[in-house]
Amino acid sequence: MGTESSFQALGTQLGALALILVIAPLVPGIAARTRAFLTGRRGSPVVQLYRDLWKHARKGAVYSTTTTPMFRLAPVAVLVTAVAATLMFPFDGRGAAVSFTGDAVALIYLLGLGRFLLVLGALDTGSSFEGMGASREVTFSSFVEPGLFLCLIVLTVVTGQLTLSGMLGPQLALRWSSAAPALLMIGASLFVLLLAENARVPVDDPNTHLELTMIHEVMVLDHGGPDLAMILYAAALKLALFAALVVAVLVPRSMVTPGAALGILVGGIVLVAVAVGIVESAIARLRLQKVPLFIAAGSALGAFGLILVLS
Amino acid sequence: MALFAIGLSLILVAGVVTAVGRSAAADRAYAVLCAAGCLVAGASPVAVLLGRAVPAVRFGTRLPGGDWVIAIDALSAVFVIAILGVGAAGAVFGVQYLANDRGSARRGLRVGVSHCLFAVLVVALALVVTAQAVMPFLCAWEVMAVTAYLLIMFDDEDVEVRRAGLLYLISTHTGTLALFGMFAVWTAKSADWTFGALATAAPALGGAAAIVLGLGLVGFGVKAGLVPVHFWLPPAHAAAPSHVSALMSGVVIKVGIYGLLRIALLMGRSIPAMWGWVVLSIGVVSAVLGVLWALAQHDLKRLLAYHSVENIGIILMGAGVGALGTAYGRVEIAVIGYAGAIMHTVNHALFKSLLFFGAGAVYRLTGTRDMERLGGIVRRMPATWFAFLIGSVAIIGVPPLNGFVSEWVVYQSFFRAGTESGALRLAVLGAPGLALVGGLALACFAKVGGVVFLGTPRDEQSTASGEAPRMLLGPMMVLTVACVAIGVAPGLLLDPALVVAASLGDATSLGTPAVREVMTGATRVGFLAVAVIALGIIVWLVRRALLRGRAVRTAETWSCGFTMTTPRMQYTASSFVAPLLDTFAPLSGVRTQVAESHFETHPVDLVLDGLVRPTWMWIRTTASRARLIQLGRLHVYILYIIITLLVVLTYLGMTVRP
Repeated sequence: MGTESSFQALGTQLGALALILVIAPLVPGIAARTRAFLTGRRGSPVVQLYRDLWKHARKGAVYSTTTTPMFRLAPVAVLVTAVAATLMFPFDGRGAAVSFTGDAVALIYLLGLGRFLLVLGALDTGSSFEGMGASREVTFSSFVEPGLFLCLIVLTVVTGQLTLSGMLGPQLALRWSSAAPALLMIGASLFVLLLAENARVPVDDPNTHLELTMIHEVMVLDHGGPDLAMILYAAALKLALFAALVVAVLVPRSMVTPGAALGILVGGIVLVAVAVGIVESAIARLRLQKVPLFIAAGSALGAFGLILVLS
Repeated sequence: MALFAIGLSLILVAGVVTAVGRSAAADRAYAVLCAAGCLVAGASPVAVLLGRAVPAVRFGTRLPGGDWVIAIDALSAVFVIAILGVGAAGAVFGVQYLANDRGSARRGLRVGVSHCLFAVLVVALALVVTAQAVMPFLCAWEVMAVTAYLLIMFDDEDVEVRRAGLLYLISTHTGTLALFGMFAVWTAKSADWTFGALATAAPALGGAAAIVLGLGLVGFGVKAGLVPVHFWLPPAHAAAPSHVSALMSGVVIKVGIYGLLRIALLMGRSIPAMWGWVVLSIGVVSAVLGVLWALAQHDLKRLLAYHSVENIGIILMGAGVGALGTAYGRVEIAVIGYAGAIMHTVNHALFKSLLFFGAGAVYRLTGTRDMERLGGIVRRMPATWFAFLIGSVAIIGVPPLNGFVSEWVVYQSFFRAGTESGALRLAVLGAPGLALVGGLALACFAKVGGVVFLGTPRDEQSTASGEAPRMLLGPMMVLTVACVAIGVAPGLLLDPALVVAASLGDATSLGTPAVREVMTGATRVGFLAVAVIALGIIVWLVRRALLRGRAVRTAETWSCGFTMTTPRMQYTASSFVAPLLDTFAPLSGVRTQVAESHFETHPVDLVLDGLVRPTWMWIRTTASRARLIQLGRLHVYILYIIITLLVVLTYLGMTVRP
């Protein structure tokens, strides 16, 4: 490949990345709108999150006297790690802005860094509510991570590739005919992990206003103004990233043009968001003690997939 | 080699100075001399890693066991550097840490002796990893074990400390016994007792190789603190003064890893695949259980000690894949696995010493290590918190610091094994195990940081009296810089680690595409780390610019309309991890007491309290039955002698024909 065409490829990748960064706030909006529609309400407009972000970004802030710079660092870290994680995702079905062997590990662990600092920010307030949220967040995410890695190793074993772009690239398309059952299983597993990692029903409810029952939302009770805007945007971006992962596993896109691949991805993300909305309107939150079982069951799908491809 | 000898002598001189000098000035001279000695001695191993051969030293002796050989090869070099680095930092930290005791008339002498023993321990460690024959190895090993015992016993007025010391002493000698057995079996086949001869004899071991490796795993495993022989480690590391804990956790237990890698090196290609599988499985079990038990701890230093068990497990995962790669003839997987193990060894030495120094500073300035009583000390100790936070981010293995770099390499070995065919690809199952460990470690350090440093003080008596003094902060800052440097420039550590790994595996593997991909990947990881840090600074500045000129107020923490909040309403160390421990029960090693308005958890060590103590009690009660015949009166014993004589004479009379 000549320098010119690799520059062109990088241009496409950065363009795709920019598009995802712009449309990310739509994803929670679509899920919420679907949920409202199915439960017989009109609901807020799909673009509500843009309005909220704009509103929060223009506000001042109120900080608790208990807090330290840690509390102010947390939103910055969450935003930066979420954006950095997207650098490694092949949105156009070809390659990512940053790609290297084991980049999937970096992606997941970057989100881990954001989570770690967000949890410390929550504990910085000295509030029992935020302590509760922090405790639940670290508990459930400890179960999500092994599940994600099970899915990743299925992709590695199936495709023989070590980069995320490789795992979701041409090899995946070639192997779909022979490894379809395993790939469907990890697609389903990733969807379950998406619900858990992004604080959606049945693990958490983004709409509830009863703090005691929440996980993610209660951790950020004390954040306001631009800080809250950063957290909300990062959460939307993370949801979009997970949705993109589900789509990329289920729909191989390497044989179409980069533009079409990106189109398929965006369409798929919308469908995943609708599916999240359907799940949220169909079932209720689980009891907290049941959540680890739910995540374990989701991860078990990945484990079954692994057994299929290893045997 | 001359520099190495001069450096070690300087360290010993430093020890004599502080023991004889008996003053604060002598202690400062000791710190300077010790650091200088470490620096000088470090020149030789650095030269080895840069590819310069350093000649071996051979002392001819007439003692049993033959010649004593001291040499630095690549494997020794990386361990020597870790030992000297942590040793220098620990010596400086220790002088300030024990400064109060130095002033007191009763304990002043003990401080000098303790510093002197610290110097001896550093030298003994350096000799353990450079000895190339059985006798000097075992001698240095024993000096190391006994010195460490004496250092642990610094606060021997405390019954807990005495118990911890005794447990350590018994455990370490059980391990040494296994090493005697191992070398006895091995030297029976070899020409002499040098490691070179052992390597030559390795293929001739045949079936005895399993015995050698098994005994080695026990002997070195006790030192390294593998589950289930880890139980001496948490009490000992908690009982020792903090700079000693740092040295023990940072490098003394690594000597166990060194031993395991050394026997793998001596075995060479005759290493059985079974060894790799056993090491990998023990690694996964140690890592998962280590971090799970760490979660349950309330004592800050015990918690860190259990994390050493976890990290030793991660190192073994890499070493296990390395051995599997060798056994199945996949040299590039071997070299990546071993490189991951080596890198994590060095990284763990850095961030664990940093964390123990931080815990020591907290203990010195608050007077307690009980997390349930601490809280909010960041206000008084911001610099200590900064260093501890860096150490925490490093140990949970997330970018942009050094912990991520080495875990990433270990993951590479797993994923690469997954692309192979045959039995080797089952090693890929280590990846979800490591992911679980990562998630739990994150939970654990969120608990430590959040409960100890952030929030508000839980107990009025346990607030910090001020920031840690400079001589405590200095060593912490040096280690912090090292953690960040390796995070943003992983090549600094990866390149030498690959040299060492190639010496363990196969030198030809360095040119393979797989290894080159890891090297390119490492530069990208460094780029990513820089990008995250730079982006963070930019967003921070943007945020500040946005808030400038706007109404920024302070108020109480929002507690949903409730206004009478107290510090006791905060989440505690117990409650923070309760959901996790509940989920993992009965493996989580915690005894919970719930009453109507009361909840507390008591950590128990499943192996020590559940297995070792009951077994020992059973042996004691069974043995006490035999004491029926011991009446303690002389004439009864004379009667026994007469009866024995009669029985023997009768027996002889009936069987021996004239």
